[in-house]
Amino acid sequence: MKLLSISLGLAAAVSGSAYANQELAGLSADPNNWAMQAGDFSNHRYSELKQINAGNVNKLQVAWMFSTGVLRGHEGSPLVIGDTMYLHTPFPNNVFALDLETQKIKWKYAPKQDSAVIPQMCCDTVNRGLAYADGKVFLQQADSTLVALDAKSGKVVWSVKNGDPKVGAVNTNAPHIFKDKVITGISGGEWGVRGYLSAYDIKSGKMVWRGYSTGPDSEMLIDPNTTTTWADGKVQPVGADSSLKTWKGDQWKIGGGTTWGWYSYDPSLNLVYYGTGNPSTWNPSQRPGDNKWSMSIWARDVDTGKVKWVYQMTPYDEWDFDGINEMILADINVGGKATKALVHFDRNGFGYTLDRTNGALLVAQKYDPAVNWATHVDMKSGRPQVVSKYSTAQNGADVNSKGICPAALGSKDQQPASFSPKTKLFYVPTNHVCMDYEPFAVEYVAGQPYVGATLSMYPPPGEKNMGNFIAWDASTGKIVWSKPERFSVWSGALSTAGDVVFYGTLEGYLKAVDNSGKELWKFKTPSGIIGNVFTYTHKGKQYVGVFSGIGGWAGIGMAAGLEKDQDGLGAVGGYKELRDYTDLGGQLTIFTLPN
Amino acid sequence: MRSALLLAMLFAVVVSPAGADDKVKTDLYTVVDGTKVDADTFQGFRTWRAAACDRCHGANQEGLVGPALVESLKVLTKDDFKKTVTEGRLEKGMPSFSTSHMVMDNLDHLYAYLKGRSDGAIKKAKVELLK
Repeated sequence: MKLLSISLGLAAAVSGSAYANQELAGLSADPNNWAMQAGDFSNHRYSELKQINAGNVNKLQVAWMFSTGVLRGHEGSPLVIGDTMYLHTPFPNNVFALDLETQKIKWKYAPKQDSAVIPQMCCDTVNRGLAYADGKVFLQQADSTLVALDAKSGKVVWSVKNGDPKVGAVNTNAPHIFKDKVITGISGGEWGVRGYLSAYDIKSGKMVWRGYSTGPDSEMLIDPNTTTTWADGKVQPVGADSSLKTWKGDQWKIGGGTTWGWYSYDPSLNLVYYGTGNPSTWNPSQRPGDNKWSMSIWARDVDTGKVKWVYQMTPYDEWDFDGINEMILADINVGGKATKALVHFDRNGFGYTLDRTNGALLVAQKYDPAVNWATHVDMKSGRPQVVSKYSTAQNGADVNSKGICPAALGSKDQQPASFSPKTKLFYVPTNHVCMDYEPFAVEYVAGQPYVGATLSMYPPPGEKNMGNFIAWDASTGKIVWSKPERFSVWSGALSTAGDVVFYGTLEGYLKAVDNSGKELWKFKTPSGIIGNVFTYTHKGKQYVGVFSGIGGWAGIGMAAGLEKDQDGLGAVGGYKELRDYTDLGGQLTIFTLPN
Repeated sequence: MRSALLLAMLFAVVVSPAGADDKVKTDLYTVVDGTKVDADTFQGFRTWRAAACDRCHGANQEGLVGPALVESLKVLTKDDFKKTVTEGRLEKGMPSFSTSHMVMDNLDHLYAYLKGRSDGAIKKAKVELLK
């Protein structure tokens, strides 16, 4: 009797909470939709569609275009659910629902936001897109307001404040729907914001849990005995005060570790995966210690937020190697063994493969040969072996450490990679940029920038290409092929069952390559591409689309990049060069094959 | 005030051809060898760095998302400069620095440093303290 009631209770709990999850899982399993930013829970950015394939992709032509009305950096992508497309804009974060039959605007949502939030976002006012579930469209506004809109009418169902923009806590990330929760993060690592991941109830908007990146165990939702990490060659409990012990005084309160990347979810393990960003400030001398758990990969229970495991990639960051990049969940062979892997291309230039069930470190190799700040990752301790010459902490404040590769924007930034279950390869948009980095003392003032380093960025010595589009074998940690690009590849990749891989370039080209990296097709869109490629079908016809609109740190990076001439007054060679190809924009371009 | 500023600008233009010791001295700043500056102007440079102005205006004030200050300071009056820094131009992404003691206490020095860069008297963004 008792047993029966327990199992009945369990069944009820599962059917209630899992409803949205099942709906979304169903929608994303249908390749006719593009129901999530990455297409699925695992961050694969892969589509089973193959009407457009390696044999006919060179015949792609424009089907229709849409101007978003905003001329700033356009990251992320639209969503497609059935016959409706939902798309977002950078600040002011307008949302459109488009009828795919007529391309007519069904509704538009235009939030009112305090313009004071614009400068808080510093270098560009990007937004990485919407989420859909339960008949609602979810928007994470710049001013940190999380909004649920009725998918049919665009009317606000609920809204909740996720942070305090007055202290620099703003948002650029897409919200993610896992189970019956909206998971969202926070930005503001350059404002001394203490990072966290929050879960809100999909129906009411009520906060269910919030786990901080730094501080006391109870606030991080870490259990010293059951939360594990990789240390000394094995998975073991983190122990008490794992974060507090690694900070001087109460610096963890303004210690960064923000969470603005792409999250993933494994329904069978009930875990959400994400990365935390740089510790604040960028001047390492001011914050001695490992600064845990900034720069880390996290696995949290979706229902409770409790940390299952955590692994720090870059202890004591000295370069702004902000660890927020996407966690890709792939079932692959590692060392001849079938593995539930988590694959992550970190800003620090290392491609990591971990066992996602327990956080065991399996592979950590450079995915750009230019990476020089560390010789390798010691597999026993999991720590990168730092080269003294490139240590901005060892060189000290007010010293310009030169020739560090990668630059702060990383061998890859937020632009998400794609995993093809068909080829078992990862297709990765990368940056090929180095930097000089000079840290200096800076004082914390709430709501004011808290950076503390001057940087200049440029291509590796003797090279001209500032980006590569690569294929990566995460089982061995090897580059399979590498296709050079003039500028950083800052667009999310898409691979398909049609043996085509798509990505955009900063000049504004949408490109298609085959599984061996051979370019099959390209098309010049109106502005530089930092958005993510997506695909769907409408009335039996496959479409591929991407946002254009140069901006983000890529635009900034370009501006700063190639500018080696420290004494030049307005000598902006690299920026000028990008200007030869593109200006600001804000357009969606949709492609298809001719009838 | 305004006329004093105009005088200073005029003075800067007149003096800008460097002397034998490569020294430029105006009412606003003193620069030797293009990179060594007086204590107040050096404080202006430190303020520029601390406020992370380079994130938007470029490491060399050449402009990125924000305008090129080497150009802006040729047309912006000192009063306009102070107003812009204090209140910001929020719609355009320029923050208000009114709560930053570092910036508010050093507005004149920040202006002197940027003016020196704009005039071409300060040859490199990174300067040293003149001893």
